[in-house]
Amino acid sequence: MSGNRKERGGTADYYTVKRIDNSRLVRTANPNRFRESCRIVAFGGVLAAGLLLYAWQHFQCLQLGYQLEELKAERSQAAEMNQRLKLEVAALKSPMRIDAIARGTLGLTVPVPGQVAPVYGPSEGVLAQARANALAASSASTR
Amino acid sequence: MELRTPRIRLFIVAVLAVLWMGAVLARLSYLQLFRYTEYLGRAQRQQQRIIEISPKRGVLYDRNLRELAMSISVDSLFAVPSEIADPPMVARLLSGVLRTSADDIETKMRGSRSFVWLARKLPPDMVQRIESLNLRGIYFQKESRRFYPKRELAAHVLGYVDVDEKGLAGIEYEFDKQVRPRPGKLMILADARRRWYDRSEQAADAGESVALTLDEKIQYIAEKELAAAIEKTRAQAGSIVVQDPNTGELLAAANFPTFNPNAPGESPAESHMNRAIAATYEPGSTFKIVTVAAALEEGITRPEEVLDCQMGAIYINGHRIRDHKPFGLLTVSEIVAKSSDVGAIKLGLRLGAPKLYDYIRAFGFGQPTGIELPGETRGLLKRAESWTAASVGAISMGQEVGVTSVQLITAFSAIANGGVLNRPRIVRELRRGPQTIPVSGALPSRVISPKTAATLRRMFEGVILEGTGNRARLDGYTAAGKTGTAQKLDPNTGTYSRTQFIASFVGFAPVNTPAITVLVTLDSPMGGYHGGDVAAPVFKRVAEQVLAYLDVPHDVPLMPSQILTAKRNESQPRPDVSDFDPSQMETAGAPSALPVFPPEPVAQPAWNVAPTVALAEGEGVLVPRLAGLTVRSVTEQCLKLGLNPVLIGTGVALEQNPEAGASVRVGSRITVRFSRASGAGTN
Repeated sequence: MSGNRKERGGTADYYTVKRIDNSRLVRTANPNRFRESCRIVAFGGVLAAGLLLYAWQHFQCLQLGYQLEELKAERSQAAEMNQRLKLEVAALKSPMRIDAIARGTLGLTVPVPGQVAPVYGPSEGVLAQARANALAASSASTR
Repeated sequence: MELRTPRIRLFIVAVLAVLWMGAVLARLSYLQLFRYTEYLGRAQRQQQRIIEISPKRGVLYDRNLRELAMSISVDSLFAVPSEIADPPMVARLLSGVLRTSADDIETKMRGSRSFVWLARKLPPDMVQRIESLNLRGIYFQKESRRFYPKRELAAHVLGYVDVDEKGLAGIEYEFDKQVRPRPGKLMILADARRRWYDRSEQAADAGESVALTLDEKIQYIAEKELAAAIEKTRAQAGSIVVQDPNTGELLAAANFPTFNPNAPGESPAESHMNRAIAATYEPGSTFKIVTVAAALEEGITRPEEVLDCQMGAIYINGHRIRDHKPFGLLTVSEIVAKSSDVGAIKLGLRLGAPKLYDYIRAFGFGQPTGIELPGETRGLLKRAESWTAASVGAISMGQEVGVTSVQLITAFSAIANGGVLNRPRIVRELRRGPQTIPVSGALPSRVISPKTAATLRRMFEGVILEGTGNRARLDGYTAAGKTGTAQKLDPNTGTYSRTQFIASFVGFAPVNTPAITVLVTLDSPMGGYHGGDVAAPVFKRVAEQVLAYLDVPHDVPLMPSQILTAKRNESQPRPDVSDFDPSQMETAGAPSALPVFPPEPVAQPAWNVAPTVALAEGEGVLVPRLAGLTVRSVTEQCLKLGLNPVLIGTGVALEQNPEAGASVRVGSRITVRFSRASGAGTN
């Protein structure tokens, strides 16, 4: 490869380039330097990871904040709906309304005292025991 | 100097970087040190929003925790007039939805530049229609609104609130401090797109709920029967109070005229009056309970003692007082049963003013009962020193004194429960979440001995069995009571009216173990006006329904009554029972929104005559005798025979259907009725 060429006046100057061949030179590894580099890279990596983690956490926190607020808004709406439905149930259970339906629509009347039979159902346990005894007795008799 | 050399260039870049960094640091320091507060405020204004949390008023429940009043969130409409480009046009558009004049809306908008309410607490359909208009500068704000889902039911007890949810009457007013919530604050952090991402909250203090002693069903029975009685007697007003005599708790307090607390402004003010505690009237003969109780307690008479009722006339201090009928010799029991004024006056005169006054006070008259309701009157009772010579006679028969319904029923409950005066109560407990806070009240006080109370119970039973209150006789229950017919004072003449009366009946049932006390008062009924004629039948209807509802066992055999035919009367207009719509709750009913049904037709024989079981007769099994057996034995026997037992009640078997010895098919149903106490519960 030729060197720089400049024109001065009308003559041309020529420079020779001394070729240096250092391809056979071998750079000797410096273990200290290598370790230091590794340390710097590791430290940098940890620092970067820490920063990334912090950033991730921060943005995750924001995202969760959004989600949380949405859920809270949903809960609030659900609670409101629940309250509305309770009000609706209370209105539908109004004795005045039920009485009106019973008499006006279904044609029912107020029972006279003899027609009202309070039902105190015997406990399930008593009935179950009685049925079991009866079954046992009937199976014994068939044998 | 050659600027193009790399070192100089590097130096210049470094200097520029340092200067730039220095400038940034300087600006940062300036902002942090000198403009910090200003920018912090601006940032907070952009990012933070502080919202007032308005929790809802506590719920009002009946004794079984059925909701009687509750609040839900609704939308209110407001405008920011500075954002509205064309107020007249916006006002015109809104007036079509809000059904108010456009001029009014425009005037409101011109009242302020930043905020003005246009309409409060709108129904959802209106909100939707306004939202669809998509008007700039028109916004909605959530507000809490009180609803009374049972409409007129217990309206006078519950009261009502104003547009700001402040209690104005009834329990809403009396317990406003407890029921009203204390608002909290919510600080919201929002991003540039106004999305919320964080919050800090200053907790709101929710209002306490109130559980009343009223029972919704009993209240309805009382209101329905009162409405029917008013319809029938064309009385101006009336009240029915039902009390638990053992605790003093009011189970119902019905008044007429009534109103819809969802829209109190649409009813006349006089309909808001809780007559049970605020209306004072001369009780008439029902007040004789005090005279007779005092005389018996003091031992100055006995039920069997015979007094001369002077053929219905007595002179006191020159005034001639006449009985409603001319009575001759009557025992004290008969004086009570026949409601002889002369006899009561004689007993009062024997007692003397000081003792009579003391007993009247001891029974709670002339002083507020302390019930947890606003507007209670103490009644009218002059001090004994200022009584005239005629006062003892007049007061002995229920004149010259003014009482409220609650005072009178509380006094009668004292006789029912064995002589203890319990303070009447309307509030059972306050509730804060799952925690209950009992409401303390005055301690009960003994007024008369249990022996006197027992004697009085028998005497007042006689009123119903053979006296003026025979139309109050119950089917299946014993009852005791006292009729009252008092002349009203004519405000124009200052004398007793000859045309206007207060008809009343106070009674309890069953006699030996009273479960309820009922007082019926009708103000100025037309036509019949005697308590025994117009108020006693109402007592009967109320007491029979309430006792059945409370599952009180019958203590006397049922009369041979008849089953009502279940038949719809097509000519009768069907009541409006359309499904729920909160805005419909505001529709104020007529004087009474309660349906008044005509008397029901009667037809067939009763339960014990007409069996309620489906019976398959024919060959098969002979029904065994089950009387006296336990539930278990009855079940075992029936199943052993292949019969299907239908068991009603607990204890030992009292009745069965079909009767023992009948032949039925296998698998037939046998209805057996049990009772814990033999003899009780027979039908």
